Amino acid sequence: MSDQDLVVETVRDILTGFEPFALTADRRWDAGLWSALADAGLTGVGLPEEAGGSGGELADAVAIVRTLAAGAGAVPVAEQLLVAGPALLAADLDLPSPEEPTTFAIADAVTVHPVDDGDGPGRFTLTGTVPDVAWAGVASRVVVLAPAPGGIEGAVLALVDVSSLPASDAYNLAGEPRGSLVLEQAAASGALLSETRAGELRARYALARAVQLAAALEQVLAWTVQYAGERQQFGRPLGKFQAIQMELAEMAGEVTAVTALTDAAVQALDRGGNVVLAAAAAKVRAGAAVEVVARLAHQVHGAIGFTQEHKLHHLTRRLWSWRDEAGSELVWSRVLASGLLADGPDGLWPALTRVV
Amino acid sequence: MSNALTLAPAPRSEAAEQVRAEVREFLAAELAAGTFETHVDTWLSGVDPVFSRKLGERGWLGMTWPKKYGGHERSAMERYAVTEELLAAGAPVAAHWIADRQSGPNLLTYGTEKQRQEILPRIVAGECFFVIGMSEPDSGSDLASIRTKAVRNADGDWVVNGAKVWTSNAHHSHYGIVLVRTAPSDPAHRHAGMSQLLIDLSLPGITINPIRILDGGHHFNEVVFEDVVVPGDMLLGEEGNGWHQVTAELAFERSGPERFLSTYPLVAEFGRRVADSGDPAQLAVLGRISARVLALRQMSLRIAAALDRGELPNIPAALVKDVGTSFEGDVIEEIRKVVDVTPSLDSPDPLARALAEAQLHAPGYTLRGGTNEILRGIVARGLGLR
Ligand SMILES: Cc1cc2nc3c(=O)[nH]c(=O)nc-3n(C[C@H](O)[C@H](O)[C@H](O)COP(=O)(O)OP(=O)(O)OC[C@H]3O[C@@H](n4cnc5c(N)ncnc54)[C@H](O)[C@@H]3O)c2cc1C
Repeated sequence: MSDQDLVVETVRDILTGFEPFALTADRRWDAGLWSALADAGLTGVGLPEEAGGSGGELADAVAIVRTLAAGAGAVPVAEQLLVAGPALLAADLDLPSPEEPTTFAIADAVTVHPVDDGDGPGRFTLTGTVPDVAWAGVASRVVVLAPAPGGIEGAVLALVDVSSLPASDAYNLAGEPRGSLVLEQAAASGALLSETRAGELRARYALARAVQLAAALEQVLAWTVQYAGERQQFGRPLGKFQAIQMELAEMAGEVTAVTALTDAAVQALDRGGNVVLAAAAAKVRAGAAVEVVARLAHQVHGAIGFTQEHKLHHLTRRLWSWRDEAGSELVWSRVLASGLLADGPDGLWPALTRVV
Repeated sequence: MSNALTLAPAPRSEAAEQVRAEVREFLAAELAAGTFETHVDTWLSGVDPVFSRKLGERGWLGMTWPKKYGGHERSAMERYAVTEELLAAGAPVAAHWIADRQSGPNLLTYGTEKQRQEILPRIVAGECFFVIGMSEPDSGSDLASIRTKAVRNADGDWVVNGAKVWTSNAHHSHYGIVLVRTAPSDPAHRHAGMSQLLIDLSLPGITINPIRILDGGHHFNEVVFEDVVVPGDMLLGEEGNGWHQVTAELAFERSGPERFLSTYPLVAEFGRRVADSGDPAQLAVLGRISARVLALRQMSLRIAAALDRGELPNIPAALVKDVGTSFEGDVIEEIRKVVDVTPSLDSPDPLARALAEAQLHAPGYTLRGGTNEILRGIVARGLGLR
């Protein structure tokens, strides 16, 4: 058994106690699941022990994120393990305890003032509204990517304690908290990032969502294949009808394409270097697959899949949400195309062979 | 996901990147010298024996085959890089394509020593071209219904009668690997009684009649066999094992980059247009197309890696071909919605020409090598539904 198999099995074991549930106004996340994961040290995987994490590879962190995404675990693990944690480390900022959830947000309308100067990590104050914060009101800290103070190039990455701040009530299509936070002279430790580093961080966020999308797409396909094998109409399982087989095969094609590309993008991230284009491609491809897979999954499930009681919607509603988060397909497709054409009109093919 | 469809990621190959750079340099020089022009779907329509021989001289044919047959014992990943570069450039590769991709590997697996020694080195040199003799007028998707018959005569030779159809480039080729009935069909065992014969297309009794496709091009043919005497030692593989042999062939036939790059020259031309215009709507379309290309490359590379490991990934290959050929058609629609260009084969605008070529070839992408409906049936089997 590989390390990742072991990690996956552990997370699955924990998840069984917390099967996917509908989130409601008074149940905005799965605190019990989070504690169980944190107790097992799984909320610090992929972050070095010297920095307070649990150690392990990027691949282990990805395996955890994938398993939780497929199980519709309502916890900010993707944000913490794949985005916020690594961003803080890369910026030489202190990692908060992995036992408390930390999320990530892009705050283009927040103004940042340095409290002291000097290069490297410093102190800042932040003022303005941070929109669309994943797990707003749940996470006690947000790693914010904001524009650098006037006249300075690049961006500021700041770790803001929001445990005492109220978050606005807003949710994505799956009921996951996505409210905004209003910062008023919020004091934070932070660091200046170059425009390139800031771009890579946005891409990391998109890749994290792509990884979740890939896992959820695989799970939806598996559920749908299983259902088609069990549900009988006209005296035989749905899966024996050629029309249904065509739909399932089409879904399988989409899912396989997404998996292949997200895997390759994660490997590219692991090798280091600039993964903006790889992440952009993975996010765009995964988003495109959602259209086909969610539509056909619901079609094959018939009316039962349209109900709250059935589990299908826990993932299809997340698919519909995640594809528009961390940058939509429109945004990332333009980033991808512009990047591929950076070497001029004849550079497209060579660029395509370099991305992953 | 079902294991039948999953493939391990492909390892990165420095050797492949090395040969890729060499091919790119070669193609740039050939383009500059004007020895070929870029076109869409050149692995069907770009027949140029001189070009094929040049590839042979460079060691880019029979790349993965044993040295004792003239091959180069390189990896499937290296071969993948070469084929991909040739397709992306729209180079004229049709003459040798089938021999290099499919017939050679088929001979390596099933051929007799004599057959291999006689034929493989000639394929490697770019001097011997092949056709696939599977389809018949009444047998397309239902290939097991073929009727072309081969009967042993007193000398132990095969006497072949029947007709094959849609045989790509038969008029430029030397041999066909032809699926024939060597025993009467048995409704209870539809896949029994078929065999493959290695047939020299210059034998007496063979007539090759052209069939023109939508743009008037002559690429495929009807091949009629009238009492054609094929030497007894030209049986390929085992008598009666034909069905198994053709299905095994399909992993080579279905998974390569030609299943999503036939229309790449159109994408390249569109990329030039977008670079010029900077139009946000066009950029978004180019981005979406590129993301699909990148995913298909990863899928196809995974199959190349599986071939390197000695596997025969038939089911994933069917899946890649389904996704890839659907993409080839979609590309035309995606592009034409965001450029104001009237497709025309003789336009001075290269984008208009590429659109025209891609459009007129489009119905073929999802038919050749097994239709997408049939492929999805194979994928459904991989999902455990059949
Ligand atoms: C450009 C090109 C090159 C080719 N080159 C070669 C070659 O070199 N050698 C060769 O042997 N063949 C070649 N072919 C033939 C190709 O393999 C056949 O066209 C293909 O197998 C389909 O057969 P058909 O055209 O007879 O269509 P049919 O089998 O008549 O099918 C017609 C339609 O019905 C659908 N259909 C059929 N059966 C089913 C089913 N059970 N379930 C659902 N749908 C079904 C098909 O998917 C298709 O959409 C070539 C074809 C093209 C277009």
